[in-house]
Amino acid sequence: MRGHGFLLANYVPGNSLLHRAPLALKFLVVLACGLLSFIVVDWRISAAVLAALGGLFLGSGAGLKRLWGAVRPLAPVLLVIGLFQWWQLGGPTAARIVLNILVCVVAASLLTATTPIQQLLDGVVQLARPFQRFGADPERFALTIGIMLRSIPFIAGTFADVRDSAKARGLERNPRALVLPVFITSVAYARQTGEALAARGLGEAED
Amino acid sequence: MPAVAFDQVRVAVETEDSPQPKVLLDAVSLRLDEARVGVIGANGSGKSTLLRLVNGLIQPTSGTVTVDGDDTVRAVRKVRRNVGFVFTDPLSQLVMPTGREDVELSLRRSVRNGTERRSKAESALARLGLLHLADQSIYELSGGERQLMALAAVLAVEPKVLVLDEPSTLLDLRNRELLRRTLADLDQQIIMSTHDLDLALDMDRVLVVQEGQVAFDGAPTEAVAAYRHWCMQALDPAGRDAP
Repeated sequence: MRGHGFLLANYVPGNSLLHRAPLALKFLVVLACGLLSFIVVDWRISAAVLAALGGLFLGSGAGLKRLWGAVRPLAPVLLVIGLFQWWQLGGPTAARIVLNILVCVVAASLLTATTPIQQLLDGVVQLARPFQRFGADPERFALTIGIMLRSIPFIAGTFADVRDSAKARGLERNPRALVLPVFITSVAYARQTGEALAARGLGEAED
Repeated sequence: MPAVAFDQVRVAVETEDSPQPKVLLDAVSLRLDEARVGVIGANGSGKSTLLRLVNGLIQPTSGTVTVDGDDTVRAVRKVRRNVGFVFTDPLSQLVMPTGREDVELSLRRSVRNGTERRSKAESALARLGLLHLADQSIYELSGGERQLMALAAVLAVEPKVLVLDEPSTLLDLRNRELLRRTLADLDQQIIMSTHDLDLALDMDRVLVVQEGQVAFDGAPTEAVAAYRHWCMQALDPAGRDAP
């Protein structure tokens, strides 16, 4: 199974300013970038923010290859969205929408590339702690995020495998031959993951 | 060694094909207190069901399973703390992007302090000689390395019993040998199902499971011989399939 098509960059050990920055600050930057995509109406601002984030990403030592790796899986979708919006709403709007999506992806990649996943999970636990009084288990929140990060490459890898199998049988133009196996494999994977977590006693309520 | 005890265990599941429940395991009564117990048998014979009962992943329809006196239904959390489970496919077991993160995940409940957790995770990885692979994506590891990584994540919480469900099925000869040597050095009680009869011969006691029942229980050489005999008999009941 291939599992390298990853939307967010994996953690890269380092000692850059971003590596040392508090998690809360990095989280706020990601949040701000997400909000920015709703507020900013000028594509030039989006381009400038994207350039700044790209600079920060490279400055962290995560490298151009990882940056491209984070953006590449989105490229075909962005192309379709961009062309459609250009046709519907014109060039500047299309550019703004595509650039804003890239801003969100690069900002999130910056967070995951410079923060060890356990620190990220500890942050989620802290953030979810106020909900404990309503019966929520912060560790389960953290586990959910962890599994989400792990599942994206699995599903991307499954899609690549299924596409190759369909090609080998001459079924590459049949959407059912592509979608159904990915769906079935993903459900089986979810069940196996659930069983593996249960076997390790993870995800159970606190004692 | 902790004792794993099965008392008149039956596992049956409802199926759409038949009004009668399908019996996966029936009338199993055993006490396993040897350091190394092997479980062999054909595909679909009930080996995995037997192993999953030890960790509480499957509950018996009737009868009881206990680990060191703890019932796997009533005290399932305690049982799972004491019984580590390694699956055939490590990719379905490793839930974090890298081995280090997965081992740290195992330790999240027991070790709250991040620095201490990291140090314990490194010790667990170093013990199996995996520290140099700790930060690699699990997709970049070989099958054997992944299986050892899954083992390290389970061993990090120091279980008393280690259950392995066909751990060598997806491994090549070299990695199978690596796994075999690693298992030989462990202090835990090991209960392992396998199709690798050489691996079964390393055990202290071997159970042969056939059609949901323990058809043979005894010394490895005799168990393997009995299993071979039954396989040949099933393949060639009247000499029709003989080459």
